[in-house]
Amino acid sequence: MKYGTKILTAFFFLSIPCAIAASPKNPDQCFVCHEGMGDKPSSLYKSDVHKLNGISCSGCHGGDASKEDQDDAMKKSIGFIGVPHGDEISTLCGSCHADSVKMRQYNSKLPTHQMNLLAASVHGKNAIKGGQHIVQCTTCHNSHGIVSVKNPKSPVHPLRVTQTCTQCHANAAYMRLYNPSLPVDQLDKYRTSVHGLRNAQGDAKAAVCSSCHSGHDIQPAGSAKSHVNAANIPETCAKCHASADYMKEYKIPTDQYEKFTKSVHGVALLQKHDLSAPACNDCHGNHGAVPPGVESISKVCGSCHALNADLFSASPHKKAFDENKFPECETCHGNHGIMTATVTMLGVDSTAVCSKCHTEQKSVKGYRVAQEMRLLIDSLTNDQKRALGIVEEAEQKGMEIGEAKFKLRDAHQARLESRTMVHSFNKEKFDEVIAKGLNVTSFVALEAQRAVEEYFFRRWGLGIATLIITILAVSLYAYIRRLENK
Amino acid sequence: MEKSTDVPVQPGKRDFLKWLIGSATAAWVVSVAYPIFSFLKPPKQGEVEVSSVKAGKLSEMAKDSGMIVKFGTKPVILIRKADGDLKAFSGTCTHLDCTVQYRKDFGSIWCACHNGKYDLNGSNISGPPPKPLDEYKVIIKEDEIFISKGT
Amino acid sequence: MRSLSKKLYDWINDRVHLDDLVEFMGKKYVPINSHSVWYYFGGISLFLFIIQVITGILLLLYYKGSEDLAFESIHFIMAKVQFGWLIRSIHSWAANLFILAAFIHMFSVYFTKAYRKPREITWLTGMVMLLLGFGFGFSGYLLPWNELAFFATKVGTDIAGVVPVIGKPILVFLRGGEDVTGATLSRFFGLHVAVFPGIFTVLLATHLLLVQRQGMSEPLELANNPAHVRKTMPFFPNFLLRDLLFWLIVLNILAILAVFFPWELGKKADAFASAPAGIKPEWYFLFMFQTLKYIPAHVLFIDGEVLGVLLFGIGGLLWILVPFWDKKSSRGERNLIVNYFGIGVVIYMLLLTILGWLT
Repeated sequence: MKYGTKILTAFFFLSIPCAIAASPKNPDQCFVCHEGMGDKPSSLYKSDVHKLNGISCSGCHGGDASKEDQDDAMKKSIGFIGVPHGDEISTLCGSCHADSVKMRQYNSKLPTHQMNLLAASVHGKNAIKGGQHIVQCTTCHNSHGIVSVKNPKSPVHPLRVTQTCTQCHANAAYMRLYNPSLPVDQLDKYRTSVHGLRNAQGDAKAAVCSSCHSGHDIQPAGSAKSHVNAANIPETCAKCHASADYMKEYKIPTDQYEKFTKSVHGVALLQKHDLSAPACNDCHGNHGAVPPGVESISKVCGSCHALNADLFSASPHKKAFDENKFPECETCHGNHGIMTATVTMLGVDSTAVCSKCHTEQKSVKGYRVAQEMRLLIDSLTNDQKRALGIVEEAEQKGMEIGEAKFKLRDAHQARLESRTMVHSFNKEKFDEVIAKGLNVTSFVALEAQRAVEEYFFRRWGLGIATLIITILAVSLYAYIRRLENK
Repeated sequence: MEKSTDVPVQPGKRDFLKWLIGSATAAWVVSVAYPIFSFLKPPKQGEVEVSSVKAGKLSEMAKDSGMIVKFGTKPVILIRKADGDLKAFSGTCTHLDCTVQYRKDFGSIWCACHNGKYDLNGSNISGPPPKPLDEYKVIIKEDEIFISKGT
Repeated sequence: MRSLSKKLYDWINDRVHLDDLVEFMGKKYVPINSHSVWYYFGGISLFLFIIQVITGILLLLYYKGSEDLAFESIHFIMAKVQFGWLIRSIHSWAANLFILAAFIHMFSVYFTKAYRKPREITWLTGMVMLLLGFGFGFSGYLLPWNELAFFATKVGTDIAGVVPVIGKPILVFLRGGEDVTGATLSRFFGLHVAVFPGIFTVLLATHLLLVQRQGMSEPLELANNPAHVRKTMPFFPNFLLRDLLFWLIVLNILAILAVFFPWELGKKADAFASAPAGIKPEWYFLFMFQTLKYIPAHVLFIDGEVLGVLLFGIGGLLWILVPFWDKKSSRGERNLIVNYFGIGVVIYMLLLTILGWLT
């Protein structure tokens, strides 16, 4: 738009002497004349990829490039449109770029669906003035002087694209017009990230805006189609991070995606479509992506697993871990491939994680506590199973035991709470929760046992009643016989 | 029909049969009366458990408080908001089936197991719960609070 | 002991002349013949009715007849009240056995033509009591307010609604509105525990009084035999003791059924739930239900259901009025048409019931 005004001004001032400089031999009379006037569009257009492919100014602006006379060349009746405005611009670009037949004539390998993608994107759908959408092709690609994206001079080249995007996205006053809630500090954050630092050093391979958000197909993060939607992020990051070839020179592992997809978080997010489960960015940050530091891990995990993190921070382990530089949650639970925690992690046997540090020789107190905690949680699990078994037996015998079954939920709750309470690494607190659960299970087992006994009581009662009735019936029959045999 | 004539019966046999009928009848009466009298005895919990509907009296429920109500075999949490509005949700945390509670200090529904939180519309707002709580309908008839399924 | 009861007897006898009653009972004889066994089914029906009254009153102590509480209160009876499961199961089972015993009683009376003069009133009261028994069953079925009962009542009242002209008002009257709701439950509850028992008691008293007054009927072909061939036994104590013997056996069967096949409660009725698959009425309505299924939607210009309901109405009326159109039996002559009609009805009912049961 800024360019548009300038071109328009230049056009009015310089249109008259143009005709003199024109030479009949050159097929692109527009360029010949405008270059002679020394205006900015024509000087930029000299190196434009379109110019190099033999496309005249009239390819976009209309008119007849072969006419020397200015009036003949720029007659409205032969299709001269002058400076295109608003959506006309993208429509003009699309008249070739969305047409695979035309593009093939220029041996182009460019995709031809950018126009569709742009039209469906947040930039192509939102309009501020009637008929004019936020972004036209020229907004990012420039109008004259367009070069290949691989060319470092291109505004969408990896090393320059951040500036291009932030022309709008870092401008709070401008962004407020479209999306007041969208932050405008992405570039600042990006500069602190590993990606941003490498980019600043001139590494064109490091991720930039368009690597994650895509170029044309930009959707709001909340949209399921967005490349940065929680459900799509792991795949988006994996485009680079799972490619051993691409990441070779950075010497970092490339198995995070594979591990993540199998982890409890990955299964929740990708298979159960639970969008509250963390994707890559929830731990690493998005624009400011870095691996979390050793001490901040419990804060990162704690943003969801708050109770566990609080308990851990108050526990004796906090100090020990900090001193030894153990990454907090990760030491026991792992990172990308994290699995559902089970009781097998607790205790001192081969599958337990406690015994990594606590052995019978070293840190003996912790060894004992781990052993006892495991025994307690196992006994609660067993009691719960046993109680459930009796409840089921009673139910199967047709006894009504809804009340006890309802109560059994409390045991389930106590067991889950005890698993959380492990993170306090405090035996007394743990005992309290377990005792609550054991009380419930013994109550339920008793109630259920009573119901089972009631079942047998009914059978016995019936047996006795039947015996009585049979004796009565037989003796009555004998009495009748005797009466009638008299 | 021939008239029955008095034929003498051995006294021992006669006594035994009559005794047998008498005592069997007595035993039978006991075996019928026992269940009936047991039935008449009011059970420990003297009233029908009206869990599925009646939750208590409105006047007895403080503002800004919550309670767990047994709804069939499932818990339902009934909340009286600070402004006096009543809300009822499934009391089962959508994360791992713990029973949730109302926390005055947060002004939200809270699950003790993993610190999951729901707002007073039942939406999961923080912590691990993956889904919102199902809402139940609350109806007030005179002073009684009734909870029923469906919103 | 003996003298005490004698004294008590004398005290009462002094005032109400019990001697007359004992005298009457002692002189009452029950005929003995190859059909004697059928005589007991009236007594069994009576016994089952007594059980229904007793267990029904017991259930009333805890049952609450409202939409919100009906299901819960039955659940409470089954789960919390001691022997509640037994009382409720016996009530449900005895209801079914009552209909069965009454059916047997009715058919035995029909085929032995015991309805003939002078026992027309006994037959009529008995038939009305059987219809009331259906009413008891239909209304009682809804009271637990469970899913099956809810939909069975819906279908049942719908059928009543197809009767031309009076059907719709009957349907609204039964349901207490356009739909099966809590209002229906209240009505059925009232009918089940107050209206029906009241009418039934009056009919039962008449029925029993007539039986005592007129004695047992003898089958037609034996009634004409000379007196010395006809065998009898005293009603008291011989027949009464046999009656008691049967009652004991029935009670034991009931107890066994209640313990081994406790009556299900099912799921609470939900007006917005879709009807469960394969809802069926109680077995004694099954032959009618099944017939309605077989009648095409339209027969000539009449609606199929209307036709079915009308046919059953006419058939039932014909059956009830048999003492009045079967003049031959009253005159003491054989009337084979009655037998063929009866056999046809029995076969038809059995066949349709079995078909209904299997589908």
